[in-house]
Amino acid sequence: MTWIADNLAPLMFAGMIIFMLIGYPAAFSLAATGLFFGFLGIEFGLIRPDFLGNLTYQLFGIISNDLLLAIPFFTFMGAILERCGLAEDLLDSFGQLFGPVRGGLSYAVIFVGAVLGAITGTVAASVIAMGVISMTPMLKYGYSVRHTMGVIAASGTITQLIPPSLVLVVLADQMGRSVGDMYAGAIGPSIIQVLLFCGWVLIVSFVWPESVPALPKEARTLQGWALWKRCMRGMIPSLGLIFLVLGTIFMGLATPTEAGAMGVVGAIALAWFYGSLTWPLLYQGMASTMRITAMVVYILIGARVFSLVFQGVGGKVWIENMLTSLPGGSVGFLVFAMVFIFIIAFFLDFFEIAFIIIPMLTPAAEKLGIDLIWFGVLICANIQTSFMHPPFGFALFYLRGIAPKTIKTSDIYWGAIPWIGTMVILVAIVIFWPASVTYWIESTMKMDPSKVKIEIQMPEMPPLNLK
Amino acid sequence: MKVLLSLSRGVDWFNTQLAVVANWLVLLAALISAGNAASRYIFSESSNGWLEIQWYMFAGMVLLGAPYALKMNEHVRVDLFYGMLASERTQIWIDILGGIFFLLPICVILTYFTWPWFVESWDINEASSNAGGLIRWPVKLLLPVGFVLMALQGVSEIIKRIAALEHVIDAEFKYEKPLQ
Repeated sequence: MTWIADNLAPLMFAGMIIFMLIGYPAAFSLAATGLFFGFLGIEFGLIRPDFLGNLTYQLFGIISNDLLLAIPFFTFMGAILERCGLAEDLLDSFGQLFGPVRGGLSYAVIFVGAVLGAITGTVAASVIAMGVISMTPMLKYGYSVRHTMGVIAASGTITQLIPPSLVLVVLADQMGRSVGDMYAGAIGPSIIQVLLFCGWVLIVSFVWPESVPALPKEARTLQGWALWKRCMRGMIPSLGLIFLVLGTIFMGLATPTEAGAMGVVGAIALAWFYGSLTWPLLYQGMASTMRITAMVVYILIGARVFSLVFQGVGGKVWIENMLTSLPGGSVGFLVFAMVFIFIIAFFLDFFEIAFIIIPMLTPAAEKLGIDLIWFGVLICANIQTSFMHPPFGFALFYLRGIAPKTIKTSDIYWGAIPWIGTMVILVAIVIFWPASVTYWIESTMKMDPSKVKIEIQMPEMPPLNLK
Repeated sequence: MKVLLSLSRGVDWFNTQLAVVANWLVLLAALISAGNAASRYIFSESSNGWLEIQWYMFAGMVLLGAPYALKMNEHVRVDLFYGMLASERTQIWIDILGGIFFLLPICVILTYFTWPWFVESWDINEASSNAGGLIRWPVKLLLPVGFVLMALQGVSEIIKRIAALEHVIDAEFKYEKPLQ
């Protein structure tokens, strides 16, 4: 019996995996793991019975967390933008602009993916919008199915790396760092990722030219001034929105949460401008945002129940000792962490990783003297792959939803693989060239968004009664 | 069974109404938050009350909306086995047992912990420590209420699944990963 008491933390970790694999909603499986091992811990005298009472403060901390409000705002903004007509305009005009070159439609998709990424923070919105609009023309003009699927999924996925990304907000929150720094740090890797994508299209256009043909003359209906005007029609409102959201954060005018809220207002205004603002569109956006937010926050609630007990039975120390004693010091730790996240991302989606895994990795990273912004951006770059992994990747899953039945699921999966490769290359680049992250933090952060004056006082959290 | 099913229908109806409230909170919170940022820079005015109402609404949309998300089967699962291996009958059993052993105990215990907190706040008529802040008990009341509602929805889901197993009702409990 003492063996169980001594190893309760590893047992609890194993228990979590088993409870989660059962397939009941993750939020409740997690919380149930917490409660079950909490009672075991009390039974074995590892934690005091009133220890669980700390849950109340943790729950209150979740609902009063101003930063988490960014989740509904960015989701809502994405839901409106997805169907407001902006993506159509951009893809159509830039498709024609880049069309004459081989692989031109792919470059257009990557470019528009990056622009949408800089406006909004959710992957679903980008992938669905771009998939619906550009899949048919790309296939019609002879792009290979696999390449088409891959480029759309990948270009939609960079949304979560390019600021203002929701993933970065949640990571910043979990690591206790400023969102502004996180955003600034992600600028460099975002640019590198876009270049890597373009590089891959270039390689494809030399090695397999038949799979990325140039647009035929008759498909290019706009020329010269008319074409430029069309491009501007898409770009000007985009730049406006980018300024409204990102600009206000970087200049220290608004908190990330408020920037998200202004993004919502901006997106509504844009939809109105495009004449696509209808009540059903708005209400559907509200409804799906509410359900996603509730679902995500419940995962966080479950994760808090789990991690409170996990800490109580000594799990934090166990994980930290294990991670800090990895061979190779901080590089060994980083490689382990990245491989681990890459693999776990097959099974868990981003929010589960952020709320369960990240709090376990962060203390060890801090102890090893790793810059947490850099670490966070690295994780964000890595987690991109979780959207692209067959068979569970979200981006592929969305594509399956909108692709015609004639397209084989296996083509979607195979199409994703080279793009996952470029994402892994990005992770390697960022690991060995930390300046790609830190350079932008120093140069953009003249103003610190954490200094934006917000008067809300968090409720005083009493120290955890760890035994 | 008939009584139970009408109970389940009642719970479903009630939580669906609350979901409408939660939907509205999304739009209202966004407008208020954008308004706060704008008024701070345009009129140099800011009020703690308006800042606090944002996260009161956030709490509302989560705690009042989550039961409806459960009804819609939109709480994300690790569907490695659930989606690939389990037959429909097994899936229904997983949901029934998960409801009884995971969801209900958690909701009960979280209600048990959060209720006294609300009572205390109510007794002393606790207000925010910020100047111009809001009274605290409504948001503290949301926590236990949210968990009770979730427990009720959990019971309703269990009833519907048992009824489906016994072929009293025809129901599909199709699970699709929620979009993010």
